[in-house]
Amino acid sequence: MTGDIIVRARGITKRFGDFTAVDHVDVDVRRGEIFGFLGPNGAGKTTTIRMITTLTQPTEGTVEIDGRDITKDVSSPAKEDIGIIQQHISLDKDVSVLENIRYHAILHRIPRKEAEERIERLSRMMGLEPYMDRLVLNLSGGWKRRVAIVCAIIHEPRILFLDEPTAGLDTQSRHMLWDLIRGLNANGTTIFLTTHYMDEAEELCDRVAIIDHGHLVIQGTPEELCMGIGSWAVEYRDSDGVKQYRYFTDMEQSRAFQESLPLGSRVVSRNTNMEDVFLEVTGRDVVATEEVTFRI
Amino acid sequence: MILADSFRVAWIDLCFIRRNLSSVLITSLVGPLLYLVAFGYGLGKGMTVDGFDYMSFMIPGIIALTTLTACFSTTAVKVMVQRTYFQSFDELFLCSMNPAAIVLGKAYGGMVRSLISCAILYVVGLLITPDLRFTLSAVLMILLASLTYSLIGVVAGMLSNSHLTMNMITALIITPMTFLCGTLFSVDALPGFAQAILYALPLTHTTDCIRSAMLGTGFEWIGFAVTMVYFIGTFVICYYLMVKGKR
Repeated sequence: MTGDIIVRARGITKRFGDFTAVDHVDVDVRRGEIFGFLGPNGAGKTTTIRMITTLTQPTEGTVEIDGRDITKDVSSPAKEDIGIIQQHISLDKDVSVLENIRYHAILHRIPRKEAEERIERLSRMMGLEPYMDRLVLNLSGGWKRRVAIVCAIIHEPRILFLDEPTAGLDTQSRHMLWDLIRGLNANGTTIFLTTHYMDEAEELCDRVAIIDHGHLVIQGTPEELCMGIGSWAVEYRDSDGVKQYRYFTDMEQSRAFQESLPLGSRVVSRNTNMEDVFLEVTGRDVVATEEVTFRI
Repeated sequence: MILADSFRVAWIDLCFIRRNLSSVLITSLVGPLLYLVAFGYGLGKGMTVDGFDYMSFMIPGIIALTTLTACFSTTAVKVMVQRTYFQSFDELFLCSMNPAAIVLGKAYGGMVRSLISCAILYVVGLLITPDLRFTLSAVLMILLASLTYSLIGVVAGMLSNSHLTMNMITALIITPMTFLCGTLFSVDALPGFAQAILYALPLTHTTDCIRSAMLGTGFEWIGFAVTMVYFIGTFVICYYLMVKGKR
């Protein structure tokens, strides 16, 4: 079924000395979907996305974009199908916004007239027109990210990778970016995004995979994953006052469990969400994970 | 294709130079012009070296050292900053660009800065000393040296992760080469072992070659060939670093 799969990664592994950052991960991204790659800081999300986009060479494994192996050929034409917005904004900050965007058009060999039309259209769409002659250095983080988005999509990639795209953004910018992602996806662009915001995954993603300590733990649609642990969640505090969670496949079981708790217990009953899934499969909170940073 | 792509890669660095032309020129020329005044008109007044007055002897040396300093500082710092601080270097690997085009493209910024500075110094030299002449062989050597030292800068930029490392490379390799490779004095005046060490370095040959071409005493083909070997060697290292080493 290669026709439906636009990204196929098999056994991709990255080792830094004795430390294995990503361990034999298999990923299939279907054409036209929004695929979420979840995990705590240091779980291996960025390393995985860098290996898939050829920015980091895998120690083992292969990556195919639309059936073409891009791990062997560094100048593979398949790269033209890829766009990436990195977690750390990768722009030349000592030149202007327009020069950065034009540079990306030049690198992707877009004919000049067509490039200028795209620059005008995309800069208008992102509200960048008043800032085109400003040095990137002098822009705020949100505006820099908008410039990075235009640079990443100027060559109209078939698959767009976003590495924690909303990290550090205010609510308005976050929703603007969500709308943009949905818009690009509606126009046929496949989206691969990493995030450690569970609400973002639920809001945007058709399918998600969770990675922890370099291992792919689980993948499926958000609904499937929630159903997998039980659709009903009960939050309560145990005798030591520690918050506990129990999951049930139907409401009756959930009610029966609540009735079994001591009188006066503070109980919350609700639908299971992605955060519950995450806690169940990783056994801890996202933000509590120790961050492991390697230069890659 | 590779050549056309290399100009695409260089475009953003050339934008930076155009945007900051006066600063780029001032920082490239102040040092060499100070050498010219301090050593040429100060210490060297009335001196002759190898049968030429010191100013005529020294100006080709200053042009040679300018190829090294202008190229190295431009490309090394630019590549290091783009890799570690801006992280914009990654973008080059997201297009279907041949690594050879990336290597050459990253060298052009240094070359342009060096060629502008050398052109100004060459004109100044022709105006103030009657012994110097304009020759195509000198221009050819300046071009080759600029490309070679820019590539050395690319290697340093690929291997450094901070300004501190870059300063170390400059202090331990570039600055000693600048002063010792016969730019301001004749290497023949040094003991044999020192000459052997200095003739292993490319700038000694660049200096000999540019000097002989500008003074009209022939063309040092050996110097040209040694610089060419350095060019090929650094190109291969850069290519390897682009494909494997630092990714």
